[in-house]
Amino acid sequence: MSERPVHIAAIGMITPLGRDAETTWRGLLDNRSAIGPLTRFAVPDQQPLPVGEAPDPGGDAALPRTHRLALAAARQAMRGAAGPPDAVVLGTTTGGMEASERQLRGGVDDCAAYRWHGLHTVSAAVAAAVGCSGPALTVSTACSSGTLALALALAMLRQGTAKTILAGGADSLCRLTYYGFHSLQLVDRQGCRPLDCHRHGMAVAEGAALLLLTTEPLESSLGELRGAGLSCDAYHPAAPHPEGRGALLAMRRALDDAGLAAEAIDYINLHGTGTPDNDAAEARALRQLFAVLPPLSSIKGALGHGLAAAGAVEAAVAALAVTHGLMPGNTGLQVLDKGLGLTPLTAASAGPVEAALSNSFGFGGNNGALVIAAPGAFPRRNAPPPAPHLTVWGYACLSGAGDTASTLAALGEGRSPAGAVPLERLAMDLPAAQLRRLKRLPRLVLALAGLAGGEGAAPGAIFAGSGWGGLSETHDFLQRLFQSAEQFPSPTDFVGSVHNGPAGQAAILCQADGPNVTMAGGEASFAEALLAAEHLYHGGERPALLVCADEGHPRFSPLFDPGTTGSGGLCDGGGALLLRRGGSEGLCTLRSLFHGSGGDDGLTRLAARLRAAPGPPWSLVLVDIPQRRRDDGQPRGLLRQAGIDAPLVDCRRLCGEFASAAAVAAVFAVAAFAGGVIPAGLVAEEAKSFDRSRGRMLLLGLGEKLTAVEFCAC
Amino acid sequence: MQQLIEELKVKLIDILNLQDVTPERFDEHARLVGGELGIDSIDVLEMVVMVEKDYGIVINNQEVGEKVFASLASLARYIEENSPKARS
Repeated sequence: MSERPVHIAAIGMITPLGRDAETTWRGLLDNRSAIGPLTRFAVPDQQPLPVGEAPDPGGDAALPRTHRLALAAARQAMRGAAGPPDAVVLGTTTGGMEASERQLRGGVDDCAAYRWHGLHTVSAAVAAAVGCSGPALTVSTACSSGTLALALALAMLRQGTAKTILAGGADSLCRLTYYGFHSLQLVDRQGCRPLDCHRHGMAVAEGAALLLLTTEPLESSLGELRGAGLSCDAYHPAAPHPEGRGALLAMRRALDDAGLAAEAIDYINLHGTGTPDNDAAEARALRQLFAVLPPLSSIKGALGHGLAAAGAVEAAVAALAVTHGLMPGNTGLQVLDKGLGLTPLTAASAGPVEAALSNSFGFGGNNGALVIAAPGAFPRRNAPPPAPHLTVWGYACLSGAGDTASTLAALGEGRSPAGAVPLERLAMDLPAAQLRRLKRLPRLVLALAGLAGGEGAAPGAIFAGSGWGGLSETHDFLQRLFQSAEQFPSPTDFVGSVHNGPAGQAAILCQADGPNVTMAGGEASFAEALLAAEHLYHGGERPALLVCADEGHPRFSPLFDPGTTGSGGLCDGGGALLLRRGGSEGLCTLRSLFHGSGGDDGLTRLAARLRAAPGPPWSLVLVDIPQRRRDDGQPRGLLRQAGIDAPLVDCRRLCGEFASAAAVAAVFAVAAFAGGVIPAGLVAEEAKSFDRSRGRMLLLGLGEKLTAVEFCAC
Repeated sequence: MQQLIEELKVKLIDILNLQDVTPERFDEHARLVGGELGIDSIDVLEMVVMVEKDYGIVINNQEVGEKVFASLASLARYIEENSPKARS
């Protein structure tokens, strides 16, 4: 059976070249560069570096700039839409950082001032503005975030999880990224010159692009999102693999996914950051894949590098190239680096574009490539058979009590495992040289990856979740920046501060070159990482690692995530599951039942979904409900409405207050299937026998967003 | 010169968090980048910041950087030759 194509119904965009797609496109065709010296904030005692600043996005001045950029793009994309999208999938790396930096420097200690700090608040603001009550997901994989958001949206549309999705990326300039890339000596003082023999780096930029994607028939389509390919270099936290190993894998997988040969590609929009290493690695990968290279260009000499926005802007530009039969030039290029073996377009050129490839590569070796095709230009893809359920083959958790065994033992003895993970007591079977640069969160994630891995094949794909990312690195970067009067930012902390840093480290540890996706869903991060795995892990010989963790940081946790320092002090930890597709020997199956916005309507929809989920009777319900929303009536009322009569476990009373507490609770559920008993301390003082062949458990997330995950016998 | 070398050993162990290295065991002539210590491009940049902050010397050229960071001894030599005192 052929598959319904995924069409681009509308594009919303705000970039340094203009406040909409049309002005941006005109600027690109004119070969104009919008890169100029930074004016958005003052840089003491320094010549401002060239950046790409977007025009004022307008909107509510109380919101951080990333949110306002995303909202401006969302409004444009939804203009003329018949109704709200079923889901929002947004890539971002900075979230509210630009505002938080100012407040932190000013010593603002009121946590209300940081309520828009979290990456997840950007997609939440967009979902609220466009009236979307379905999933509002946040992808954070550094410079490939926008591309990975589109790849996840494509998979959700193909699998019928949604019929229309608003997807893309947004980031605003902030000190963290401005000084961070500068500290890595990755910024070109002459502006950005991709593929030039004198290229010296990128220009950090900002912007947003959101694409309205749909499987519904359209009167006029702006192009088909035809394929996506994801990979991880599994090589270095910041530098690309010199041979472009991961870049090549991502492009190959995108072509395979699109069902097209390399010869079908008429135009390539390069990642082309203008850094010496990126352009060299990308060129090597391209020359391996294409016998004859089609016309190609990087638009980062015109727009700069909009980080999470870049992949979405470039996918939209690829779609415009397909629609108009025009390809933008490689703005900024003066003297071509002949050693690269590429011949970029020096100015906009006309020519039929039936299929275009768009590349994005990010820190963590995190790569994504997309194929955009003219509507109906190629035969429809054959629909793949439905994938078997995800099954769990291994598990691990970390809590204040220590590793999995210590955590379960504490539960059984009636002690609370909540607290800060005693990392120093955990034997980490890793060389000191690999650990020395890693702070708390990557150490938690590597420990979990090691503990869950067991003896079998190492995971080939990694799906990670973290509500708040590497707080220690972010804190230390900003502290040193401000203490040195903005003179001496730390390159190590900058690289460590990216949200997907820990998952990139895990990929190096496991040599996992498959998809590497980090979701930043606030307290829904575990459920979002699972959703990403369900849609982007295709099985095969190597299992996937689903890992979700958060660190407790004495200064940042209470500011950003109020409630985390409740009565029990600072808590952290996480959980990891080793997943495969199908197989009756697994411990249990795992699937998402619900993702949606909160509120009374949301609860009613969640209850209806639970009622309609067939299966054996529920044995146990684990509820993750943050302290600020704790109202004992809510989960009981919900379960009554859903017709569920099962013992209820309040995860955070057990595991402590932190965004990834649900991941620890998920491990409790899996441990019950593994042992055939509900561990002591969960619902009763004694361990309770449990028929694992008929058992079913539910993990509910009742925070700002509502999520439901089902664990069932294989 | 020897004093500068000893000073740099302590600084590098600190900023690069070389936990299993002591100043006594730090061979100033051993290959610094890509050698046994696992020092890579990010560490080089961290050292660049330190050299600028503590010695007032800017290294923003990759070719120069490769020579300077060949070993701890070459780093010490470069600092001595280029320190504002030596230049004046």
